[in-house]
Amino acid sequence: MKKKQGRQLIELAVNGEAYELAEEPQVTLLEVLRNDLELTGTKESCGTGECGACTVLIDGEPVLSCLTLALDCRDLDILTIEGLAKGGDLTHVQEIFLERGAVQCGFCTPGVVLATTALLKATSRPTDYEIKKALEGHLCRCTGYNKIVEAIDKVLTDGYLVNE
Amino acid sequence: MHLPRFTYKKSDSLEETAQLLSRYDTGACLMAGGTELLPRMKYGLAMPEVLISMKRSPVSSPKIGSDGDLVLSPLMTLRAVEGSSLVRENAPLLSEAVGLVGSGEIRHMGTLGGNLCQETRCLYYNQSHSFQFKKPCFKRGGDICYSIPKGKECWAVFMGDIAPALYSLEAKVKIMSRDKTRIIPIEGLYRGDGKKPLILSPHEIIGEIFIPGSNGLRGSAFSKFSFRGGLEFAVLSVAAVLDMEDDGETCRSARITVGAVAAAPVRARCAEAGIEGKNISDRSLSEAVRQALDEIRPVPHHGQTSGFLKESLKVQIRHALSVAAGRVKKD
Ligand SMILES: Cc1cc2nc3c(=O)[nH]c(=O)nc-3n(C[C@H](O)[C@H](O)[C@H](O)COP(=O)(O)OP(=O)(O)OC[C@H]3O[C@@H](n4cnc5c(N)ncnc54)[C@H](O)[C@@H]3O)c2cc1C
Ligand code: SF4
Ligand code: FES
Ligand code: FES
Repeated sequence: MKKKQGRQLIELAVNGEAYELAEEPQVTLLEVLRNDLELTGTKESCGTGECGACTVLIDGEPVLSCLTLALDCRDLDILTIEGLAKGGDLTHVQEIFLERGAVQCGFCTPGVVLATTALLKATSRPTDYEIKKALEGHLCRCTGYNKIVEAIDKVLTDGYLVNE
Repeated sequence: MHLPRFTYKKSDSLEETAQLLSRYDTGACLMAGGTELLPRMKYGLAMPEVLISMKRSPVSSPKIGSDGDLVLSPLMTLRAVEGSSLVRENAPLLSEAVGLVGSGEIRHMGTLGGNLCQETRCLYYNQSHSFQFKKPCFKRGGDICYSIPKGKECWAVFMGDIAPALYSLEAKVKIMSRDKTRIIPIEGLYRGDGKKPLILSPHEIIGEIFIPGSNGLRGSAFSKFSFRGGLEFAVLSVAAVLDMEDDGETCRSARITVGAVAAAPVRARCAEAGIEGKNISDRSLSEAVRQALDEIRPVPHHGQTSGFLKESLKVQIRHALSVAAGRVKKD
């Protein structure tokens, strides 16, 4: 019992690419993404669920990668911020975030953009309340949030559909 | 922040988890959503030798039992509860409370069982203690309290939002271990001790949650006070249920539960008794608020004084009762 478990094999898909990895039980998905796959777009800030910077999409749903064990991710489909742009073309949400000053230092941005992308896929016309509710778990110390909500409003008035 | 090392086991059913827990004795711990356990492990407040992950376990859907109870699996995520029309129709108070927990991400990951079995909290306790020159407090095995320094015991507060709602809905929980199951009222789950808030032994888990149906006119409301209004534990919360006579005006029975004021949710029993049999009016509701303030003494927590908490309690109870009264209808 005292002997700690070693690495276990897992397969998972990140941004459409399949990976086979050997991870110890205490390793989080966040650590796999940043340290093993060098996808450093996903940020760690608090590490304890209180900021949303580490958000990734698992099967399309926003999940905190700092509170997700790598071993619980067997065979899952994970989307990180690196997986949004296709061939260097930013998504509409990303473009408008840049244009509207909804990105400043950028630390919260990957999480906010992914949560926004998930929201717009699930709800084509979210109300302001629904937008704020969807982003309540994301702390931003720069924009004061208004610019983020305004950017999302702009995405909506553009009538853009977020299906890829 | 890194997790300490542990042995990982995966479980696909509550029965399997109960088996594993008895096999590994006190060193093992169930993880459902992990949104409470993993931060505690990162802070060094929990150090299970064996972590039994139920993250990918199948979850049974909510159903109405043969006796009319709404039956919920503790493994349901809060998001699934929020989205369930069966829950909204049969226990709108629970849907309302669930929607106010943490954030969208926390609700998507966190479960009902994990919410009920969360630890008590305090400003000193819920942080990493690895680089600190203070002696440990009562809850960490020492003999001092930093929250209430004159106190001779732990004053940590139970801050979960779902338990107060379940108190007011008179829910029951099934407690199971490998060899035994028993069903107890939700209030029996909590000891009222900040240091050890739950009655569960290390081998016991919650197997099911039962919410009795209401047959008659009912209005309910959940009122949660926090400063940011999202991604935040309650400064305090109130869950109110008013069951009415057929005239729609006389209160048959009332349940008012206050959260985040003690080591367990607290029922305002005198206030409840005070409105029962009365017409619901500005006057009777104000009287109930006055009685509740007489009987509930909020424990100061997270920088809020008990005076401030009493003022807030006044506002929140009144708000919850007025909203509940405005919602009276056949649930
Ligand atoms: C940033 C943040 C904000 C939060 N805000 C709130 C809030 O506003 N309101 C609120 O109520 N909570 C809040 N929480 C606490 C927590 O996330 C939720 O209560 C959540 O529902 C816990 O569920 P879980 O499945 O993630 O628990 P886990 O972390 O999986 O488990 C928590 C504990 O419960 C035990 N457990 C789990 N399931 C069972 C079971 N079936 N039987 C017996 N024991 C069990 C585990 O062993 C563990 O000790 C917050 C957490 C974070 C990180
Ligand atoms: S309230 Fe409890 S957990 Fe907080 S400092 Fe006092 S003894 Fe420790
Ligand atoms: S780093 Fe995961 S929520 Fe802050
Ligand atoms: S842009 Fe700096 S934290 Fe949000």
